[in-house]
Amino acid sequence: MSRLAAVLWIFSAALIAVVLFALKHEVQRLERELQLVSRQVVADQQAVHILKAEWSYLNQPSRIADLALRHLRLQPLRTSQIIEIEAVPTRPVPSVKPQPPRKLVNAERLQ
Amino acid sequence: MTRRVTSRRRPRRTRPADRGTAPADLVLLDSTTSQALEAGRTRLIAVGLLFCLAFGVIGLRVVDLSLLRDGNEPRLASEAVRKTLVTDRADIVDRNGVVLATSLPTASLYANPRQVRDPEATAAALARVLADINPVVLAGKLRSDRSFVWLKRNLSPREHYEVNRLGVPGLDFKREEQRVYPHGALTTHVLGLVDVDNQGIAGLEKRFDDRLRGGSESLALSIDLRLQHILSEELYGAMTDYEAIGAAGMILDAQSGEVLAMSSLPTFEPEQAGRASEEARFNRAALGVYEMGSVFKIFTTALALESGAVTLADGFDTSKPIRVARHTIRDYKPKNRWLSIPEIFVYSSNIGTVHMAMETGTEAQQGFLDSLGLMTPAAIELPEVGAPMLPSPWREINTMTISFGHGMAVSPVQLTNAVATVVNGGELRPATLLKRPAGAPEGGRRVLSKATSQKMRWLMRQVVLQGTGGKAAAPGYMVGGKTGTADKLRNGRYSRGSRIASFIGAFPMHEPRYVIFAMVDEPKGQKQSFGYATGGWVAAPAVGRVVERIAPLVGIKPLPVRTEEEGETTDLMIQASAEGFAFAFE
Repeated sequence: MSRLAAVLWIFSAALIAVVLFALKHEVQRLERELQLVSRQVVADQQAVHILKAEWSYLNQPSRIADLALRHLRLQPLRTSQIIEIEAVPTRPVPSVKPQPPRKLVNAERLQ
Repeated sequence: MTRRVTSRRRPRRTRPADRGTAPADLVLLDSTTSQALEAGRTRLIAVGLLFCLAFGVIGLRVVDLSLLRDGNEPRLASEAVRKTLVTDRADIVDRNGVVLATSLPTASLYANPRQVRDPEATAAALARVLADINPVVLAGKLRSDRSFVWLKRNLSPREHYEVNRLGVPGLDFKREEQRVYPHGALTTHVLGLVDVDNQGIAGLEKRFDDRLRGGSESLALSIDLRLQHILSEELYGAMTDYEAIGAAGMILDAQSGEVLAMSSLPTFEPEQAGRASEEARFNRAALGVYEMGSVFKIFTTALALESGAVTLADGFDTSKPIRVARHTIRDYKPKNRWLSIPEIFVYSSNIGTVHMAMETGTEAQQGFLDSLGLMTPAAIELPEVGAPMLPSPWREINTMTISFGHGMAVSPVQLTNAVATVVNGGELRPATLLKRPAGAPEGGRRVLSKATSQKMRWLMRQVVLQGTGGKAAAPGYMVGGKTGTADKLRNGRYSRGSRIASFIGAFPMHEPRYVIFAMVDEPKGQKQSFGYATGGWVAAPAVGRVVERIAPLVGIKPLPVRTEEEGETTDLMIQASAEGFAFAFE
């Protein structure tokens, strides 16, 4: 009985040791990974930061105006081009109902 | 049997305590051995107890740590290193989040000459990839007996890459930060500058130096970059068309006091601040103070109407020039007749305006100009703010000349802020360069009644419809304003040749949202303007074009042009029932 208990204890101790060891390694691996990822995050943030500055630079209004002038066939909006939606005429509804063709007077005469 | 034997032999194992009573043959062990055994036993027990105690403590501690304390998730996980980007200086962005100033990492190249094997070859190789580097000077540096020499600060990414590609030993980079202004000269006067150590030395960079260096949250300005560009472009156009030496302009949110654009020309690229001329570095919009001329009639008229000294139905005879002391006050384009108050304003009569000022008096004028913020430096967030120039002592003649904008100099910021107060319903909110939270602005200081503000809106609208400001018209957007032309003081005398031409406008006039100021310094008369270089010819068209271009951007719906003009053009000879006059755009 006591021998069995001892074996059990030894076994469980060994098991725990192995698990603990594996866990520790896993944690270390994850920590390394975390460090790598956070370094990557900072690098990406840095890149985004630089790209934002570049985006702002490329969006200089004078540059955009020049590009628009060269590549678009558009002009600044004129006031006369803006009207209220109410001012847009609706599709004309025919005021007279289409009627069946009248009898031709001449046709009658001809008969 | 054996059992019995064993049992018989048992007494041998008797405890030493029984020794005295034990039979003599059993006390074979000599006393030293038994004593040693005895001591071993006690020690074992003591050590065993000690271990039990230690394990007990450890066990308790484990229970304590795992169950009692920090029952939740372990704290350690949340403390895992969370790195974010840290810059030396926070960004500055416009009201729409466009980056106006940022700090970018750059690499600076240095060398350890003791590790450089072949200085000449290294210098020659570097000179090939680095712009403006003298290989001879470089070789000299590399031959020196020090362990650190700067070769070039703030390399471009391409240069950085090229130097790395050379793979020369002894060279290394140091990470530094450089302040970058993506919009260059467009925003220089507002943003200011930093020195080589990234410390603010001018403009907002100086004013908010601590704030910018303190954190990485960006500083949002009230400036709208698109409007800034449009204003600068139109001012530049007016400046070159009329061969002027400079120009300045502002766009102010009439209600909140936010500065949407502030421009001063000529300007300079922030990278070339050292080479810029004094003229270019001078911020005309905030630091410069000028005698503004007829635009001051806005304040004189507003005061006269507000104080009740005159009504819109009153008027004055303007046929005779006013002679005071050695001065004679005349009109630029005399009408030589009795003019109604609206006519005086719309035709910009100096004589009529002086009469109005005399009705209200010096004290009232001083008080009113002070309450509009024209007597104290503007409260805008720039270190470069010009103090107004006031007459001292303030005699009657000063009251007269100031009524039409001579003898007192204010900065464009002050003027724009004051006019915004007159047209926005009468509440002063100091001009600011910082973005205000959206929504209705908090209450300003009331300077003027709503009724007077309404009348001033109508008068300013008439100036554009049938007065000197006709060229500021932007069909559909109900522009109103006032022209100003002031001779500049040269060596104590007013000279006809050099003047300030300005126009202050607001739109849409039935509910002004934006106040726009344009000022051109020393314009020369041109063929296309028939030799004129007045505010109406030089500055007003610029404001009109600015309105036309910014109105669609800021989402102002144009009115049908027909109704706009038919309803508004009113007889300036207002009948006696002036107070009951119904404003066309109410």
